Amino acid sequence: MKYFKLPDLGEGLQEAEIVRWHVKVGDTVKADQLLVSVETAKALVDIPAPYDGVVAKTFGGEGDILHVGEPLLGYEGEADAGTVVGRLEGGGTNQEDAFFIGTAPSTREYLANRATPAVRQLARQLGVELSALVGSGQDGQITRSDVENAAQTERERFGGEKLRGVRRSMALNMARSHAEVVPVTIFGDADLHRLGQAREPLIRLAKAMAAACAVEPVLNSGFDGKTLSLKQHERLDLGIAVDTPDGLFVPVLRDVGNRTSADLKEGVMRLRADVQARSIPPKEMMGATLTLSNFGTLFGRYANPVVVPPQVAILAAGAIRDEPVAVEGAVAVHPILPLSLTFDHRVVTGGEAARFFKALVDALEQPDA
Amino acid sequence: MSNGKVTLLEAVNLALHRAMREDENVIVLGEDVGVNGGVFRATLGLRDSFGFKRVIDSPLAETMIGGLAVGMAAQGLKPVVEIQFMGFIYATMEHLVSHASRMRNRTRGRLTCPMVLRSPMGAGIRAPEHHSESTEALFAHIPGLRVVIPSSPARAYGLLLAAIDDPDPVIFLEPTRLYRMNPQPLLDDGKRLPLDSCFTLREGSDITLISWGASVMETLQAATALAEQGISAEVIDVASIKPLDLDTMEASVRKTGRCVIVHEAPRSCGVGAEIAASLYERVFLQLQAPIQRVTAPDIPPPLYRLESLYMPGVEDILHACDTVLRHA
Repeated sequence: MKYFKLPDLGEGLQEAEIVRWHVKVGDTVKADQLLVSVETAKALVDIPAPYDGVVAKTFGGEGDILHVGEPLLGYEGEADAGTVVGRLEGGGTNQEDAFFIGTAPSTREYLANRATPAVRQLARQLGVELSALVGSGQDGQITRSDVENAAQTERERFGGEKLRGVRRSMALNMARSHAEVVPVTIFGDADLHRLGQAREPLIRLAKAMAAACAVEPVLNSGFDGKTLSLKQHERLDLGIAVDTPDGLFVPVLRDVGNRTSADLKEGVMRLRADVQARSIPPKEMMGATLTLSNFGTLFGRYANPVVVPPQVAILAAGAIRDEPVAVEGAVAVHPILPLSLTFDHRVVTGGEAARFFKALVDALEQPDA
Repeated sequence: MSNGKVTLLEAVNLALHRAMREDENVIVLGEDVGVNGGVFRATLGLRDSFGFKRVIDSPLAETMIGGLAVGMAAQGLKPVVEIQFMGFIYATMEHLVSHASRMRNRTRGRLTCPMVLRSPMGAGIRAPEHHSESTEALFAHIPGLRVVIPSSPARAYGLLLAAIDDPDPVIFLEPTRLYRMNPQPLLDDGKRLPLDSCFTLREGSDITLISWGASVMETLQAATALAEQGISAEVIDVASIKPLDLDTMEASVRKTGRCVIVHEAPRSCGVGAEIAASLYERVFLQLQAPIQRVTAPDIPPPLYRLESLYMPGVEDILHACDTVLRHA
């Protein structure tokens, strides 16, 4: 059998989904005859036969995803005997012969370091790379003290204090987020001149976010990058970033959309007090579906806030300032709230984010009820 | 050698040409290797290039061929013997076991036996009886013999050159089923490959598949099928059956914790048993599941209608992988 592999369809596309086969096993096909339609990330593509022949096998059914270079179709091919005894199968270039002499790169670290399971676990706990160690035990076996010494020296070399608690989890979470999320940030302003208490916009912001979520619910969803699964949240549980001397805390204000402003205000005050007193239960800081950072109460206008998975967006509010604005051709001075919306572009489109942002600013600019 | 691609058979032929060009002590002998170019044409053209004194058509007498080779090798020549099929190799055993393998030991290092014995091996070409054997374990059991089995044109080329260089006897077994299958680009640059090393054909992290010879094809196909299920299989071509590169296999199984061994030879006392036992000695504490073997049953290779049932198939390998992967 001679193989026709899924050709490079251009634009760097590596895979295609089979939409429909136009031939079946046993068919005689002519060169350039339509074999199969596939759908790539960009387009529906018809793949023609490379040469005349009889179809011996088709690979994959409708809906299956094939990768470039994988066999798509097998032609019947006459084996070239040419021998005195037996029959040798010829042809078939389906398997490329690429090999590592000896061990594969990812296996090499396992070549040298012999260590018992307990020592391996210790190394994992202490963050020590076994491949970097020379064992002092029998036959170069890595011992418990080898790992402990390595952990010690690594820390000593740099010095400093080991992060703990909130700061440690911030370091881990931010690094993970940075490695995973594809962030895009949009900046915009809300003109708050119609609001009575323009200087305390937190509750207004929370309510406005709930209103915007009703317009573009995808911003209020959870995304698992490993399985590429999206979960739509029904209600808005808003994480509110709170600065403390110990570090950043993000308590969660539940069900923002369905509560009154007074109720929310009370809730925020209680959460803040609990955080400052370090008495907040851990479950009060879990399960946020969207986050608000009100860093402007300290200083600053715009920011690139970091989306923390599985959330897909975060809003940052800067400091409100009186600014000259053009109102019907004349300059007026209004309180302006600078806003920055970061969204995970793996999940949210630019259009969805912009519509969300627009709805958010519209809701903020409404006069007080 | 169409489209610049070379079959395993042509790779053997290229290596023989090069070895004979490089060293005038290299002699090729066997049945039909001269005028006819060998039963599979592995020695095609050698006689025209190097003459009848260096490319010798022998009588139909394997015992004599074996004895001749041992004598030539002990006295400084480098004979490369072809036995037409593995079923005919047993007649040479007396010379291989009683003399070739122990020449160095017997003479306390004064003489060595730098011979190579080439033979096709394995089923899958619809041949009659005695033409489909895989009895590499017999030779691997003998101290002093190297056993090498290539599974691609590049490895056939590099390993055969290294086997001819080697100062001790090498049994070089060529999987007949792969002779013309899957031609590959090959540079005739004389580069040797190490004789005592595995080759990692596919890097993976979830399970280690170990094979050699023609079964490497099915093993690679099984790895591809596993990849479609999201399982990342590492595929190792043992290539050097004796001595075994246990370090490479050990490291891989340390990494994956799971292992399936695939060979076309019958199960009992096959090389798979040796590998499994050695791995249990070395990595027992890292194993996530018992090692499984996929082999031919303990019967003579059947006639060709049943051949495909006899040889380990992709489905058999996947079934064994299921067994190994089922242990959480």
